[in-house]
Amino acid sequence: MVIGLPKAMLYYRYKVLWETFFKELGCEIITSADTNRKILEDGIKYSIDESCLPSKIFMGHVYSLIGKCDYILIPQVVSYGYDNDVCVKFNAFYDIANNTFENINILDYSINVMEGEKEQKGFIKMGKRLGKSYFHSLIAYKKAKKAQALSDQLKSQLQADVLESNQMKLLIVSHPYITYDRLIGYPITEYIKKLGGLPIYADLINKKESLQRSKEISDSLYWIYNKELIGAIKLLEDKIDGIILLTAFPCGPDSLVNELIIRKSKKLPTINIIVDELQGEAGLQTRIESFMDIIQERLNQQERLNQKEINKKRIV
Amino acid sequence: MQTAYLGVDIGSISTKGIIIDENNKIIADKYIWTEGNPINAVKQIIHDLRQQINEKEFKIASVGTTGSARKLVGAMLGADVVKNEITAHAIGTLSVFPEVRTIFEIGGQDSKIIIIDNGIVVDYAMNTICAAGTGSFLSSQAKRLGLDVTEFGEIALTSQNPSKLAARCTVFAESDMVHKAQIGHKKEDIIAGLCMAVVSNYLNNVGKGKMIKPPIVFQGGVSKNVGVIKAFEQVTNEKIYVDANSHLMGALGVAILSKRAKKDKPFNLNISDINYQTIGYECNKCPNNCEIICFYKDDELIDSWGNRCANGEPTERTLKNA
Repeated sequence: MVIGLPKAMLYYRYKVLWETFFKELGCEIITSADTNRKILEDGIKYSIDESCLPSKIFMGHVYSLIGKCDYILIPQVVSYGYDNDVCVKFNAFYDIANNTFENINILDYSINVMEGEKEQKGFIKMGKRLGKSYFHSLIAYKKAKKAQALSDQLKSQLQADVLESNQMKLLIVSHPYITYDRLIGYPITEYIKKLGGLPIYADLINKKESLQRSKEISDSLYWIYNKELIGAIKLLEDKIDGIILLTAFPCGPDSLVNELIIRKSKKLPTINIIVDELQGEAGLQTRIESFMDIIQERLNQQERLNQKEINKKRIV
Repeated sequence: MQTAYLGVDIGSISTKGIIIDENNKIIADKYIWTEGNPINAVKQIIHDLRQQINEKEFKIASVGTTGSARKLVGAMLGADVVKNEITAHAIGTLSVFPEVRTIFEIGGQDSKIIIIDNGIVVDYAMNTICAAGTGSFLSSQAKRLGLDVTEFGEIALTSQNPSKLAARCTVFAESDMVHKAQIGHKKEDIIAGLCMAVVSNYLNNVGKGKMIKPPIVFQGGVSKNVGVIKAFEQVTNEKIYVDANSHLMGALGVAILSKRAKKDKPFNLNISDINYQTIGYECNKCPNNCEIICFYKDDELIDSWGNRCANGEPTERTLKNA
């Protein structure tokens, strides 16, 4: 049995969970390739115009897996609990893919906690569909859950270590499916590194802690993925030099939340970068380069002030 | 023999070149249309600048480029500094107006606002994917009215009662303008209305949420339009400073930056006979199909860009295969 994982959207959040679960059940896994122009073009072809860039990319990845596996995994996520909802796209992907592609075989699970559909229940149902027993699936799920938590913790720890670095640190506040996408976020983080900056990723922060701190920016926001990201700003405020809000056109939740961040968090230089399928690389580089120039100037000024203080003390 | 520094600002519409001496004094400057051909524009501008200076007296020690074609022209001239427009404009303006707090910059396709505190840039914004509130908005409307964009400002000043135009978007502004003309609004009122539209568009779009503090300096090609200056003064209730060289600030800034970089290698201005050529092709080596641009100086590959991975790294041979 071969399960296909589209390398888009929730893949970046649940990679370890999915891979461990299916391996434990004795399934083979194939993952679609890193996003490239062809995947994007296919995705555009199989999406409506109004879809957001990441969901077009998602459709391209699904398309690339058709015929290469027995099932393609597409979860259906609605809510993680009261006031913890997600963008409707995560609810819709199963149906969109099912209605767009004729010969597609989808394996799905749903998370809709408000309706009693919890993650564990969904995974056990999937196991059943693959012909595995309740206990076999339950054990696989528990193992997978542990592996995902461990991996998250490890990444979070690694990032905490580099936060002590003296390099210019820029917090990337963006959904992981944008940040780590080979075509959208990756060239941007690479460009930051090339200019001597250190990207810090908001999505690697401990999610429970950041959910808690997100209330300082808004206590009425109900998009959980966005809450997890904005909490990171509050948690790291004193350790970073600037904030990059990286958004894909035309993301609904981000368009509201980014305005909120700009208004409510004024401590640090912040830039809002919107990427679309037209890929204007030159404009992007101008924005990032000048943003980093501004931060560098600020750091230099701070340095000069500190030096003055030291000299003053010496004279005294 | 004195040392001099060259700055070139190659924008979408116009190309600006400047030579400064050790004291940031402008000793030669030139402003021409890019006309979609940055390489030729730069050749021409260098040719013009050479005629303005005595080459026995001045030696060009370093070169800087800025503007949207900065990379291409930077490779062409072997520039020491290739800098983004925001930083270049801020540095240039600060050298003329050290006290400036806000810079309005409206160019052909870009418009920016730069906020300065204590002599350093603290914030900026650029227009997003929209031409509303830029120079090209004005020039396309001028064409529709059968006028030259350079006459616009003077005509706008004669208006007693500027028309109110729906200026959220160039497309709607155009239909609204036609409508106003059809119901009998005077030409000068419509033109003054357009200048006002550029200003309100700029402040709502680019200047959104920014603290605009005086002194305000206005620059870029559109700053030559007195109608727009007047509209800015009306809306902000502040004096708007426009330098006689306001269109050269980017070039000046990057010339100063190249002076600071102090590479101090002799630079040859004799480029008019060199054949520069760009060849663009699709890589086809992987599904990314990167659009690679190779830049040749007399058949020698001197730079390339657009490539995403090692696979497509262009070599001398690429030229023959492409």
